[in-house]
Amino acid sequence: MFFELNEQQKEFQKRVRKTYEREVSPLVEEYERKEAFPVQLYPILGAEHLLCLRCPKEYGGPGLDKISECITVEELNRICVGIGASIMVQGGLATDPILHFGSEELKQKYLSPAVRGEKIGAFALTEPDAGSDASGIRTTAVRQGKGYRLNGPKTFITNGTICDFVTVAAYTNPTKRGTGINLFVVERRDPGFSVIKKLKKLGNHSSDTAELAFDDCDVPKERMLGEQEGGGLTQLEGTLKSGRLTYGARSTGVGQAAFEATLSYVKRTRRHGQPLARSQAIRFVMAEMAMSLETMRYMTYRGAWLFDQGLATMKDASVVKLFCSESVQSVVQKAMTIQKNAGLKMDNPVQRFLRDGRLSKIPEGTSEIQHLVIASGLGL
Amino acid sequence: MDFELSDEQKDVQKAAKEFAQGEFDPDLALELDQSGKFPEAIWKKAAKLGFFGMHYPEEFGGQGLGLFENLLVIEAFCRVDSGIGSALSTVDLGSEVILKFGSNKQKKQLLIPLSRGERRLGIAFAESEDSRDLTSISTIAEKRMDEYSVHGKKSFVLNASSADSFITLCKEPIEGWITLIVEREQEGVEDYPIQKMGLRMISSGDLLFKEVLVPLGNRIGQEGEGMAHVHHCHQAMGLKSTAQALGTIQGAFDRAMQYAKQREQFGRKLSQFQVIRHKLADMAVSVEVARWLTYKAGAAYDQERIDSGFLPITQLEVGRRLITVVDEALQIFGGYGYIAEQAIEHYFRDAWAIGVELGTEEEQKDLIAENMLEPFQ
Repeated sequence: MFFELNEQQKEFQKRVRKTYEREVSPLVEEYERKEAFPVQLYPILGAEHLLCLRCPKEYGGPGLDKISECITVEELNRICVGIGASIMVQGGLATDPILHFGSEELKQKYLSPAVRGEKIGAFALTEPDAGSDASGIRTTAVRQGKGYRLNGPKTFITNGTICDFVTVAAYTNPTKRGTGINLFVVERRDPGFSVIKKLKKLGNHSSDTAELAFDDCDVPKERMLGEQEGGGLTQLEGTLKSGRLTYGARSTGVGQAAFEATLSYVKRTRRHGQPLARSQAIRFVMAEMAMSLETMRYMTYRGAWLFDQGLATMKDASVVKLFCSESVQSVVQKAMTIQKNAGLKMDNPVQRFLRDGRLSKIPEGTSEIQHLVIASGLGL
Repeated sequence: MDFELSDEQKDVQKAAKEFAQGEFDPDLALELDQSGKFPEAIWKKAAKLGFFGMHYPEEFGGQGLGLFENLLVIEAFCRVDSGIGSALSTVDLGSEVILKFGSNKQKKQLLIPLSRGERRLGIAFAESEDSRDLTSISTIAEKRMDEYSVHGKKSFVLNASSADSFITLCKEPIEGWITLIVEREQEGVEDYPIQKMGLRMISSGDLLFKEVLVPLGNRIGQEGEGMAHVHHCHQAMGLKSTAQALGTIQGAFDRAMQYAKQREQFGRKLSQFQVIRHKLADMAVSVEVARWLTYKAGAAYDQERIDSGFLPITQLEVGRRLITVVDEALQIFGGYGYIAEQAIEHYFRDAWAIGVELGTEEEQKDLIAENMLEPFQ
């Protein structure tokens, strides 16, 4: 058993941190304020080989493993969760299904430019009336000539207004609840694709989230992932499993940021005539924050290791997501509480960590859904 | 023991509820929250109906009721909207100091316009991010012939850019701690606004006093009484913040209930899932706990039986419930909870800002313990 990153991974972590601090950190405040994603980052991160980490070399990707990907996710989310959301979707939900189920032509067409940061991807499953209940989506893809005609609404779509292509889930056979779904790659310029509106959110301000609509959107049949109709949700399983592990790294990253900010605050602040670091209660809080973070990190990297070995079950991934996204709440909440009035200031990142960290309990399976997945993984 | 509100109190509660439901438009609330503007028009209307200063004596614009009735109004307002409700409940911040320690002249000059919605008040005590830490106060008031010259900087002052007057804690080299009424329009008063995460309709900022000349007649009470004023003010403010928290808890609960009854997933209403039902049950417990703690503390204040150990117990527990309930309410809304157009999103941000007013766990536990372990110091 090794509980350490190896030398190569440590070097990678160092390089990644340096790159993000150089390229991403200076953009955070401005784009958080603008509530927009800095699209200029895509080609930069592409050139640094920091997009679509697990995409194989034959499509121009870095071809790294889940552990390496988690290292990048943790480091990026330590700097900014919102920017991290967009980059996560690019390398995960938007492109992962293409990699595993797309034709060679689709891979060449979408993966290579995504890896270089020339095209931005999005993923559209959730609908206004179907969140946790993914089988409840109503978007349909009806055979029409040489392709499919898509109709339906999608919401909470990360990269929605800035994407060049979007991987969309739709029913090819609405009578088969859950199983009659397929995934399609829709391009932004396809007629019938439209952005209804950009959504304002509690946090993740620098990520772009939108409501989309597909109105008689015709897509050639070659853009369906897989040869046969049906089974789209099953195709997503590997991607969701990977995504849930990614949420472990996301939570660890923002938790680490909150911890570092708090440690430095506690060291430099005096209250009631005493250094804050001398307060027993504060020392306990710091100890608990550190303990939570260590546990979250071990859980995440163990999950990633299992995934790389081909051993991770959906239950394993849900355990990581549930544990980390719940644990990070107490970390960011403690960070916020300690700073009192100062924590509320919009120019103090600690309130951003609270708002951003709060998201983890919701996407890619809410905490409630993770409980259900774990319970059924127990054979219940 | 009587756990029923009186008929008069029920009337106050009903009037506040009807007013809030009629006037606190959700779109307006969203707009005011995002632009950080105070709800001016609603404030004026509420004043006409007598919602401010109801605990002042009639000769000073009040209705001779208690602070308790005030708390009922704050609760009802924050239940309908945490942002507007909180903004309205802080317009007369610190007026309890005037009420208890001020001269008749000061009461007439300040309390009457406060109750009529013609003026707003702010308090300028703290000089750091910790509004209860007064150990490092360096604002000086030097007594000259017929005035004080005030010099210093106050931090995180509520109503910093909207109040007309500030009750300001200063140190006079000979008289000791004093509080002065400093008018905004006086020369040398400058405010530096702070953008904050929650309660955005209430302006916050740092206040700079540069050799501000304040008439002797603006000193509240006696020389050396400043800290007693602060203490009294903190008690009343603590209660008002608790009522804001209570209303916010109730409002978040109302919204979660409504959403759970209407939203369907997996072919069922959310309210039909056991886990969601239990979340709602937990929230209902919190509403009860918060309400009865707040009411007990409020009633004791009016009866002048303030138990200095009970107030921090109230603030601690209501503060904990506030964060938990709002967080769970947001969770029940799922993805929609995270979206600004939905009325629960600002409850989350406002709850954290109200939580700061209530004080941290450490601070409240210090007070509770001190009261138990060294009661006579």
